[in-house]
Amino acid sequence: MKTQRTPWHTATLVVGWLVSFGALAISGMAAAANTSTADHSKFKELQKHFASGPEVTKACLTCHTEAAKQVHRTKHWTWEYLNPVTQQKVGKKTMVNNFCISAGPNLPACASCHVGYGWKDASFDFKSEVNVDCLVCHDTTGIYRKPAGLAGNPVTKRMELPPGSGKFVDPIDLTKIAQKVSKSSRDTCGVCHFYGGGGDAVKHGDLDSSMSAPDREVDVHMDATGLDFTCGTCHATSAHDVPGSRFAPTVKDEGMKRIRGKKDDSNPANCVACHGKRPHPIQQAKLNDHTSKIACETCHIPAFARGGPATKMFWDWSTAGKMNEKGKPFQKKDEDGHVIYDSKKGDFILAKNVIPEYMWFNGTVYYTLVSDKIDPTKVVQISRFEGSPTDGKSLIFPVKVFRGKQPYDAGNNTLVTPHTAGTDDAAYWNTFSWPKAIAAGMAVTGAPFSGKIGFVETEMRWPINHMVAPKENALACQQCHSDNGRLKGIQGIYMPGRDSSRYLDILGGGAAFFALLGVLGHGALRIFSKRKKGGN
Amino acid sequence: MKLHKPLVSAVMLCVLGAPFAANAADGDWKRGRVYYRMVCTVCHTTPAGGGKAIAPTSKTKAEWAAYLQADKHNKGKDSVKYYISKEYRAKVKATNKAAEKYADVPDDELMNDIKAFVIKGAKDGDSPAGCS
Repeated sequence: MKTQRTPWHTATLVVGWLVSFGALAISGMAAAANTSTADHSKFKELQKHFASGPEVTKACLTCHTEAAKQVHRTKHWTWEYLNPVTQQKVGKKTMVNNFCISAGPNLPACASCHVGYGWKDASFDFKSEVNVDCLVCHDTTGIYRKPAGLAGNPVTKRMELPPGSGKFVDPIDLTKIAQKVSKSSRDTCGVCHFYGGGGDAVKHGDLDSSMSAPDREVDVHMDATGLDFTCGTCHATSAHDVPGSRFAPTVKDEGMKRIRGKKDDSNPANCVACHGKRPHPIQQAKLNDHTSKIACETCHIPAFARGGPATKMFWDWSTAGKMNEKGKPFQKKDEDGHVIYDSKKGDFILAKNVIPEYMWFNGTVYYTLVSDKIDPTKVVQISRFEGSPTDGKSLIFPVKVFRGKQPYDAGNNTLVTPHTAGTDDAAYWNTFSWPKAIAAGMAVTGAPFSGKIGFVETEMRWPINHMVAPKENALACQQCHSDNGRLKGIQGIYMPGRDSSRYLDILGGGAAFFALLGVLGHGALRIFSKRKKGGN
Repeated sequence: MKLHKPLVSAVMLCVLGAPFAANAADGDWKRGRVYYRMVCTVCHTTPAGGGKAIAPTSKTKAEWAAYLQADKHNKGKDSVKYYISKEYRAKVKATNKAAEKYADVPDDELMNDIKAFVIKGAKDGDSPAGCS
């Protein structure tokens, strides 16, 4: 059959030819200048077409022979961590939260943030070196993507995603990306850590896309036109093991400033590691007295979600599943365009410039796991921060408290792990059936499910460490030292301006009175003796 | 003849756009992002600058290519190049940290960085970038 060539056909052909020519020109050009000692585009191993992620890794490993073995030992790979203090086995693999609830039964979606390829179920080979995804941390082009639903794989051929949606995703050029790898950056870490919980700014509150190139007001250390720290500047990584996990945070660092070259196994990702324990100048010595009780973050991160994107503060799963008048799932937005209701997820409350809540914290966190019994008549603490004013290890620390309402097993009184993401019959976001979704999810988790479903209020705490403000924006004295100050709920400490004690007030007033009396008496004696001398 | 207009437009776009795309690929999109956000956006969010931020996603790759190639800023009253130039950076660096930081970057280099950012972040780019 002969096709008639229209002017647009002709134009399209010419365009295609010229674009191809342009693309060839691009591929032949030198890589952008950087500080690396290697131009990866010159390596023969990377000068070929890659049809999958593992093929790229195989090429990387020809030179970086130990890299995959190192990654295998990290939490980024195992999604598991045995806390030596609490003896709890935590990590994304098994934990429950009050955002998207659980990764385990939703791996094809959640594994987009795993540093591996193909983790879709329990059959995943954790010993495979080629399953390690080098590009997700080392991409510099900003075009590397691992869409939800592909078990951590990138798109290598044009496909409809999600299946049946009518939306198509084009493949990414793995060769181009592999030839431009370099050190990790705010952007590569941010691909997952800025978007945790299902979207920009959702989870942490102090980590969102504004941190990819922040100004000084948002983060004085990462200020793109100032100090320009990357994540790795503080989370100084060795052998692919990134220090500074929220599973075992360092709150009260009793060490000294870290000295370059000195062997030091302490956690570098905290303020004291660089600033020491008396960071303020001598003129502000009183502030240094605060450091034994108050975390640096308390004064120097006056609010979180300061960069623009709003963070989620509340999530009510119990209202999910409503349909519009056409019987279809829908979303509702507020005047700022934030989604505040989604049939798939329920109701949300979002906020910007949020003042943290404060509590005594010593770095020990207990999590409510799916194996733990809960009391549904009370608010369930999914993460419980330990601390007290008297244990010698705690500081007053700022936290984001994320509140919500989520499904639980009303027969066994346990939290549940629903299967939400997917296109199968059990996926909640497909068929909106809690019984099916929870039964399927609990089967994956390997936990019993009674079939009875209720909704329970939950809270989760997140330490606030990022978005450090310039010193001129740190808290002023009266923001805490006042009747209704930020630390009004903190017990076990005497705070002038907030607290009063009759005996202490009498003692202080008396001391001031006698001091004044002394000054006046001394002055009177001086005047008297001067007159006496003058009289002589 | 009806053929002429689209064909000529397409050819012109590609002839001008192909070398542009090649240059843009060489640019440092991260540096371009900082300059775009901290210099260009500063004016484009004020009433004088139109009151509304112009995101990379407000144009397609071809539209950005054509816009930058034409080099007509403010409806032709001045040029885009001027706002990237060392001369402009020197003028605003006392009040703009991005202009200060990149004060000595050669004009062509910085222009390539910005091209790389807007092409990557365009509506149909590899990584569409809004203003949020």
